[in-house]
Amino acid sequence: MAELPGQEQATDRRGFLATTSSLTMAGGLIAGYGTFVAMAGRFLYPAGPSVVGWMYVSQADALRPGDSLVYRAPSGATVVIARHGDTGEVDDFIALSSVCPHLGCQVHWESQNNRFFCPCHNGAFDPKGKAIAGPPASAGQSLPRYPLSVEGGLLFIEVPLESVVAAAPLQAAPELNVAPHKFASDAACPAAHGSQVSTSSNPSRHC
Amino acid sequence: MGFVVDWIRERVPIRGDQLRELTNEPVPNHLKRWWFCLGGTPAYLFVVQIVTGILLAFYYSSSPQTAYQSVRYITDDVTYGWYFRSLHKWGATFMVAAVILHQMRVYFTGAYRKPRELNWLVGMCLLLCTLGVGFTGYSLVFEQLSYWGATVGANISDTVPLVGPVLKEMLLGGDAYNERTLSRFFILHAAILPGTMILLLAIHITLIRLQGVTEFKFEDDAATEDHFNFFPDHLYTEVIAGLVLMLLLSALATILPATLGDRADPLTTPEVIKPEWFFYVTFRWLKLFSGTFAVLSMGFIVLAMFLWPWIDNLLRRVTRREDASVYIGIVAVCLIIGMTVYEAAVAH
Repeated sequence: MAELPGQEQATDRRGFLATTSSLTMAGGLIAGYGTFVAMAGRFLYPAGPSVVGWMYVSQADALRPGDSLVYRAPSGATVVIARHGDTGEVDDFIALSSVCPHLGCQVHWESQNNRFFCPCHNGAFDPKGKAIAGPPASAGQSLPRYPLSVEGGLLFIEVPLESVVAAAPLQAAPELNVAPHKFASDAACPAAHGSQVSTSSNPSRHC
Repeated sequence: MGFVVDWIRERVPIRGDQLRELTNEPVPNHLKRWWFCLGGTPAYLFVVQIVTGILLAFYYSSSPQTAYQSVRYITDDVTYGWYFRSLHKWGATFMVAAVILHQMRVYFTGAYRKPRELNWLVGMCLLLCTLGVGFTGYSLVFEQLSYWGATVGANISDTVPLVGPVLKEMLLGGDAYNERTLSRFFILHAAILPGTMILLLAIHITLIRLQGVTEFKFEDDAATEDHFNFFPDHLYTEVIAGLVLMLLLSALATILPATLGDRADPLTTPEVIKPEWFFYVTFRWLKLFSGTFAVLSMGFIVLAMFLWPWIDNLLRRVTRREDASVYIGIVAVCLIIGMTVYEAAVAH
């Protein structure tokens, strides 16, 4: 049976409406659920980086060239801070992190081998933190350094303020309840937020 | 009694012959051999893991303050806690072993070839999920090896180009292991990965039913009957295999119960650190090569495994040998065993 001209037009219009409404429906669903998925992804992504803060370490002059001290950060991490120069500038000092740059394990000092050693994948570093063996040496990675600053003759260090160490029941809680020191050139030294453990003329002795 | 049967039949309108039709798929005679039970074995162990995991979850607490103590409580104080924890631990070990053996059987018999390539992909996803469940599972104990294993694992993902840092932060819930990390591992271990595995298993079994089990003919197979019924004949074989496994798991749980190391100390990596045995290969690999190369090469190997049905097809055409993949498989298995033994034998 032959189709009437008006009937064909109506079929086309119906088809167009069906396609458009289907696409609109699909677009709406994708936009709606897509937004939900994007929001869920953002919800799962951490809200911000680790909390770090500037902490007072000691008077800069208290550390002579060749000396070092072991500083305990509020997170519980011990940091070796050594002084190599005599200019009174921040470049005189280095503060080595004990976190291996390969895959994040803790290095420890091996006095018999005069090196830091990472037991996870056999990485080794010289006393200044330069990789000398293992995967970090292959990749040219050195031990990371904590940022330091000298202001008004005082030495400050930027360290993480929170850690899962805080969860350990045997840790002293008051030491961890610290506010980051607001860095200012004329700031008075805050009460010991972190703690200076000891000083030594051998930078490796306390590692 | 008849009234009850009628009542049920009225509400579940399926006849006995229809049920038989659904379950009685004829399976090839070679499935009477025990090593062809390896597909059902991981599925059985998966059920064991779900049951024991649910029981353990009644007492486990996934925060750094309480996780280690809750595991200690389960082990030392809860009635039969040591038994269910040990069953869960040995079940995980057996499940990884069974999945690897099943995959090896599929590989060496060429059962991944056309038209079963898709099921090989699903199987690869199941293998990765199994390893993921194993990894997140031993991270939950929050002992020294758990903590450092999780740290190393997260930092491995960090070395993946482009998406690595995001992956690491999503996994840890921050840029380093923190108070929110353990609950993420718990959700992955107890909900997301098992849920994904159930879905993948459903697809795996559906594809097996649609394509049928791969046909093999062994010389000593009875010439008269090529096939036998899945239900109840093959199911009985699987039930017997399950019982033997349960006996073995119980014996191991009793003789070698799961132990508990020192509580995690984020400031001290133990002098000797080892992951679970199934990660020995990757651990040794990471010691041999620098971080990015080691991770990228591992990724490349996993990608090659995923694409093996097509790589094998190409190899057969180029070499004109049907068994080229067998020789490659033998070399790969020898390397894996060699590196695993090497890692197990040395401290560093």
